[in-house]
Formats: sequence, C-alpha cells, structure tokens
Amino acid sequence: MEKNEALLQIKHLFGERATDASFERALYARDLAPVPALLVDPLFRTVPDLVARPADAGEVSAVLKLASAAGIPVTPRAGASTVYFNTVPARGGIVLDLNLLRGVVELDEAKMTVTVRAATTWGELEHYLNARGLAPQSVPSSAPSASIGGWFTMMGYGIGSVKYGSLLSQVRAAEVVLPDGEIRNLTLGSDPPLDWFAASEGTLGVVTGLQIVIRRNNPMSHYLLSSPDLGEIAGVLAAVKDAGVTPYNLHFTDDACVRAMHRQGIAPDGVSGGCLLAIDYEGAPEELAAAQQTVESLVAVNSSVSLLPPEAALEEWDERYKSLKLKRSGPSELGGEVWLPVRSLLSYLADIEQLARKLRLGLCTYGHVASPERAIVMTMFFADETKVFDYIIGLSLVKKIHDVGYRHGGYPYGVGLWNTPYLGRIFTKGQLAALRARKKRLDPAGILNPGKLYGWPPLLNPLFFAVGMKCLAGIGSLRRGGDR
Amino acid sequence: MMTMDNRQLLAGLEREALVCGRCGNCRSACPVYKAVGWESASPRGKISMAKEIFAKGRQSSLTGDFARRVAQCTLCGACARDCATGIDTRSLWLELRRRLSQAGQEPQAYDSIRDNLLSRKNVSTFDNEDRLEWAQDLDEEPEHLDRQEGAEVCYFVGCVSSFFPQAAQIPLAVSQLLMKAGVDFTTLGGEEWCCGFPLLSTGFVDDAREFARHNVAMVKELGIHTLIASCASCYHVWKHDYQEGLDGYDLEILHTSEYLARLVREGRLEPQPLDEVATYHDPCDLGRNSGVFEAPREIIRSIPGVSFVELEHSRELSLCCGGGGNLQSVDPDLSAQIARFRVEEIAASGATVVVSACQQCEQMLSTAIRKAGLPIRVMDVSELLLEAVD
Repeated sequence: MEKNEALLQIKHLFGERATDASFERALYARDLAPVPALLVDPLFRTVPDLVARPADAGEVSAVLKLASAAGIPVTPRAGASTVYFNTVPARGGIVLDLNLLRGVVELDEAKMTVTVRAATTWGELEHYLNARGLAPQSVPSSAPSASIGGWFTMMGYGIGSVKYGSLLSQVRAAEVVLPDGEIRNLTLGSDPPLDWFAASEGTLGVVTGLQIVIRRNNPMSHYLLSSPDLGEIAGVLAAVKDAGVTPYNLHFTDDACVRAMHRQGIAPDGVSGGCLLAIDYEGAPEELAAAQQTVESLVAVNSSVSLLPPEAALEEWDERYKSLKLKRSGPSELGGEVWLPVRSLLSYLADIEQLARKLRLGLCTYGHVASPERAIVMTMFFADETKVFDYIIGLSLVKKIHDVGYRHGGYPYGVGLWNTPYLGRIFTKGQLAALRARKKRLDPAGILNPGKLYGWPPLLNPLFFAVGMKCLAGIGSLRRGGDR
Repeated sequence: MMTMDNRQLLAGLEREALVCGRCGNCRSACPVYKAVGWESASPRGKISMAKEIFAKGRQSSLTGDFARRVAQCTLCGACARDCATGIDTRSLWLELRRRLSQAGQEPQAYDSIRDNLLSRKNVSTFDNEDRLEWAQDLDEEPEHLDRQEGAEVCYFVGCVSSFFPQAAQIPLAVSQLLMKAGVDFTTLGGEEWCCGFPLLSTGFVDDAREFARHNVAMVKELGIHTLIASCASCYHVWKHDYQEGLDGYDLEILHTSEYLARLVREGRLEPQPLDEVATYHDPCDLGRNSGVFEAPREIIRSIPGVSFVELEHSRELSLCCGGGGNLQSVDPDLSAQIARFRVEEIAASGATVVVSACQQCEQMLSTAIRKAGLPIRVMDVSELLLEAVD
C-alpha cells in the first residue's frame, strides 16, 4: 500500500479526530525539552505527517494495520511528559494521540485491583481512588499529566516505589495492540510476556488498558529534615531506607538547590541553605508511631540534622508534583536524570560539586529513592533557550553530568532519542541483543516509534556524540575564559 | 484596573511563556482541552505558541488559528491552580487577548461586545436607564432602590441579572431577602455600568478601565461603604481589579452569598425546613479565583431538612460550567459541551436541586440539564434561601 493512500484511509476512518493541518501537527514535534530546531531539524523529522486520536483499541489496531502495510512510522503519545523525545517522531509518520483512552473501567475492591484505559492520568486515578478510600501504590512525580500506560512503558519508578516497587510489579495484565494490529491481553505468563512492554517506550506495541494493584489510602505522616552536613543527611537517608518501617517516599535536595529555592522564595521558612530530606510514611497507626521513633532517634544522634516544623513537611509533600517550580529562576533548565546506586549518592554529589566549581556553574541536585538500591537523581542548571548558541553549548554539559553519574555506577533514566548515545552504559551487550531480538520478532518492519531505544541514529553514535560534545564543551570553556 | 501583580505579569508575558515547562498539568485540568482534544487547545499548547510568537519574535505564527484557540478559554483558572511553575495563567490569557486585540486579530464577536458596551454601558440591547425593570416584579418595591445616598448596602446587580428575564429571579430573591432582613439597601440604578469584565476578557483593557472608574465614582458619590454583588465575575472584578481605582476608599466588597450568610448567622433571616437533596456548584470566579467556598455552603446547610451532597469535583477542584471568558459568544457549542461534563457529575450526585451563586452558571447548567432531560432544579443560593424563609 502507498503511504498517501494509507494516510487518506486513516483520515477517512477518523474524520475530525485526524488532522494533517500544520498548525496542529507542529505541537506534536516536541515534548518537555525545548531542543532548538537548529539541532533537531537536520537530524530528525519530528513533525508528524498526520495526528490521529483513536477512541479504542480497535481504532489503534486499524491504524497499525494500515501503517504496517504502508511502512509508515507510528509514534504513540499521551501525556508527553518526558524529555528525551520518547513520544516525538524521529521519522515523521503518524502520531497516535491516545488521550481519548481515558477512564476507570472496573474497580475490584475484593482483589484490590483497578482496570483503567491507558491514557488515564495518575492524577485522575488518584482522585478517583482517594474518593473511595483507596490509592495507587505508587505514582510518578508528574502524576497530574503522566498517563498510566505511559509510565508503564517508561521505567515506572517514582513516589511510593521505594515501598511498593516498580509499576511493573503492580501490573497484573495489560491490553496491548501489537505492531501488526493484533489486540492482545498480556500477563507475565503470556507470549509475549507483559514485562517485555515495561520500559519499552512504545516501541513494541501500543498499551491501551491496564489492570493494576492498588492499596488502602492509609493515614500518612510527613517529616522534613534539614542539615548543613551532606554526609549526615545521606547517612540518615540510608538509615531510614533500611529501617524496620519502609518509608513511602524519600526525597532529598542538595545545598545548591535549596539556595536556589531560597533565592526564589520557595524554600521552607528560615531555611536558606543546607540539604533537605523529606520522609513520608503511610500505614497503620502503629507503623506511623514506629516511624516517628525512627526519625526522632536519627535526628537525636545526628547533631547537625534538625527537624523542620510539621507544616513545612506537609507543604513539601503537597508540592510533590511541582518539581519544575525552580524553572522560574531559568527561564530554562538543562540537566541529566541519573539512575544512581543509593550507596553512591554521597560520592556522586561530591563530584558534582567539583564539576560545578570547575565549570563555575550552579548545579542543583534533587531526587528520590526509587528502590532499596537505586535513586532517581536530577542534576540541573539554569539556561535560556532564547540564547540558542549558549543553550546548545549547555547541552554538552549535560553529558558531563551523565559522565559523573557513570563513574558512580549510574546511567540515564530512560532512553528515548537523546540518550541513545548512552545505550552502552544503560544495557550490557547481552541485554541489548535480547531487546533487539524482541523488536525484530514483534515489529520486523520497525514501524513503531522508530529511532528509539535499540540503536543510535548515525550522528548520535557514541563516538561522534562524545567528540561533538567535547568540542562544544571546549568552546564553552573558552567562552568562560577557561575552566578551573 | 489591574493589580500590581498582574501588571508585572503582563509586562513579562514573554518570560512567563519561557518559564512554562510544558509539563501538561494544566492540560489535565483544562475543560476546553477535554472537549476539543487537540494539543493546540491545551493551555501548554497555547503557551508554546505564544512563546514562539512573543518570546521568539515569530510574528508570522500569529494566525487566525492561534487567535481562535486563545478565545477558546473560559478563564476558569484551573490551569493556574495546577501550574508546576506557578504561572498566573488566567492573567496570561487576558494579556494574550489584549495583544490579539492590539494586533487586530481578535474574533469578530469581541468587537461586537465592545461596540455594544461602549454605546449602551451594558451587555444587552436595552437602554441602561432600564436597569431596574426587573424590580417591577416585586410585590413591594423597596423605598430606596435607586441611588440612595448613604444606604447601608449597595447591591451591584450586574448586566445579565438586570436585563435578561431568565436571570431576573436572582435580584428579585436578593431584594426580597434584604427587605425581610430589614436591610437599608440601594443600587446604582441607571448609573450602574457593566463591571468591565467582558472588556477585560476580550482584551480591551483601557475601555474596561473607564467602566471601572465610572462605577467607583458612583459608589463614592453615594457614600457607600458596603457593596454586594450576586454575579461571580462582577464580584471578582470589584474585589481584585478595582482596587487601584478605589485607592484606599473604605469599601467592604462581598458576594451576596457572604452577606446573606451573615444575615442568617445574625438571626435576621430564619430558614424553615425544605425537603431537598442539594448540591453546590462552585462558580470559578467566586470559588477558585476568589476563595469564597464556605458562605454558599453555610446557607444551604442552615436550611433544616436539606440534605447536602458535594459533587465529585468541588471547591478548588470544581469544574467550570462552560460559561466564562466570553466563550459562549465565540463558540457556543464548545461552551455547551463543557456544561455537559459538569451536568454528568451533577446527575451522578443524586441531588434534586443544584445550587450555584452566579447567574451565568445557573443559565449554563439549566440549559444543559433541560437538554439532558434530568429532573433537577437549578437555583441561585439566594433563590433557595428565599424559598426557605418565605
């Protein structure tokens, strides 16, 4: 089938729910990252030829069948709340805007599961469940905008993961439309198994529904600790993580970040620097009582650590979905999100501090513990996207952040397009070969979200990328009058 | 006309557009996006385009399509509530509309609204001198209804309640309640001009300022020190945007629900039992955008026999009725679709009566409920209270 014929058929099938108007399509050419056109346009075709909004799995299937027949790339998209172009086309084609696939299908309180359509946001699910005394086990820090299907196809760690595990561990079944248009209900025991699609970033199939395990919306307690001593706060973090009562959320903020918050007027009252550690528990009253003892005893034995007032701790919790609030100091932000071993946090932060001094750049770091072993750590700096040349040079510094992370056992959290140069750090050769075999089996024509996850585009191959970034960093250094 | 905070924001539209992180929190909250479905209809989509046009100087992107999307907004403020970077998006939309007007790209309907307001001083086709015609339906007309100097209270009726028969029940109810409570009240009569919100929200800020100056001058001339408004938007404008014109003048500004709740509290109005299951729809300009949540609920709860149920989305999280931001004048179908979303929640609540505190909400919900064929009455909180004290 010819490409144009397939696109016409989809337009006919979808009516007003499909568009090839350039005014609409242009907005699907980016996610959160405002990467300059100067850098993007020569490498990729991010503006889709057509955007279609399917209302059910059947319509997703129809699009994939036509796209397969005509060899048209298809990029699934819902919240588009990531930054690595995970949901942005690399080669044009069709964007499947899945946002009509919304709502709760079934709540089973006996089994403590809920079945949702995939583009339901975590915020919507949380609102729905909270009204019934229930809650999701974990949510992404972008819960108001991130879709449930989207987070599943990313790595799925966030708030609550340290206690309840990754989203994959909470998903019992998923409805997935495979690249050939077949609609399947998948479980861990099916062929292909459900876990293939977790962190697959929309490259193996389009998730249209999920059944996930939920929890009771238990009472919570919140603590916010402050200390000028990074070592002590890191020690408290490790002790809390491994204590008898597992926290629901463990979020830390480094000194540079707290200072930036203070300058912006959003730091807790009376806090102008030092590190912050937010500890949140949920559970039965006796668990909360034990947790209180844990926190208070740790504060007692760490002389530099102080417990901030409960109102400050509650406010920190209430602001948990607004990690972008610091962007106001930018107006842009650049940074690297690192999947870091928790044990390396202290040494990583020490090296980041050294890098900041060398580059004479304010590097702010915050993050949360995602599992007993790993933390999601964001190190960022302020930039201005309207100063295009400086902004592109700034991008080279993102690699330096990832290099620090790599030295400490970390690697980028998520791949998409922009982290493909780091594939060799993220996966072993064996893992990558296995991933490529899955892709070849399920999507032999490579129509689903091409250009992501399995290999790097020619100009982003690790060697070119490293040399290019080094050159840009060198130019940046010269412009700064040399690094320290 | 505008507060200092707003002026600072408006001067910084370009920066605010750059500050937007495109996280999409706003998109999830936006009723227009929910109804339209395209990214260009979402707040983050509109801000992305504004960034290209105003912060990056791509004036060629200031197209009719963009102007249409900017006009597709109820100014409900839900996006501002959820913005991760703290952008006062409601003010940003007003500034965008101002810039569209400056560029001659405003919808034609906006020009009609402006022309009508400049010639008649109200949003209807009636002469402004007829502002008090609704009062002819009162059994007994209050003694000092028209511009009584030194009255205890001045009731700012608002254009819709003054001129549109379907909304006249509100001033009739408010007046009867004030009379029952023995309140010495007046109105600005034919000297009440539109509050200016329709001009502000269509981008004609300087014209809006003229209307504000006139109304403030009238209130000062009569020596009024307590002003009540039953229209949520009039109330919002008086409370937030008139402060510069008031320039420290001692004026207590209350929504009628706040004043009536006070009268109930003081025992000047004594509600008798009613057999109803009532729910309350928070008007955006009264609730989320002005912080008045409790007074209307207090009135409903003060009525014996009334069982009160909250809607699934209430208070800060309340859903818009679709009638704000002049959306009805540029896209009535979209406006009606948004009302249908709200009516789905009202139907699910099991209420026999849905109470609100804004004539525009009442009109939008009444139409949607009638079209849905639901056996639910729609009332202003003053109408419900009147039923209980009658």
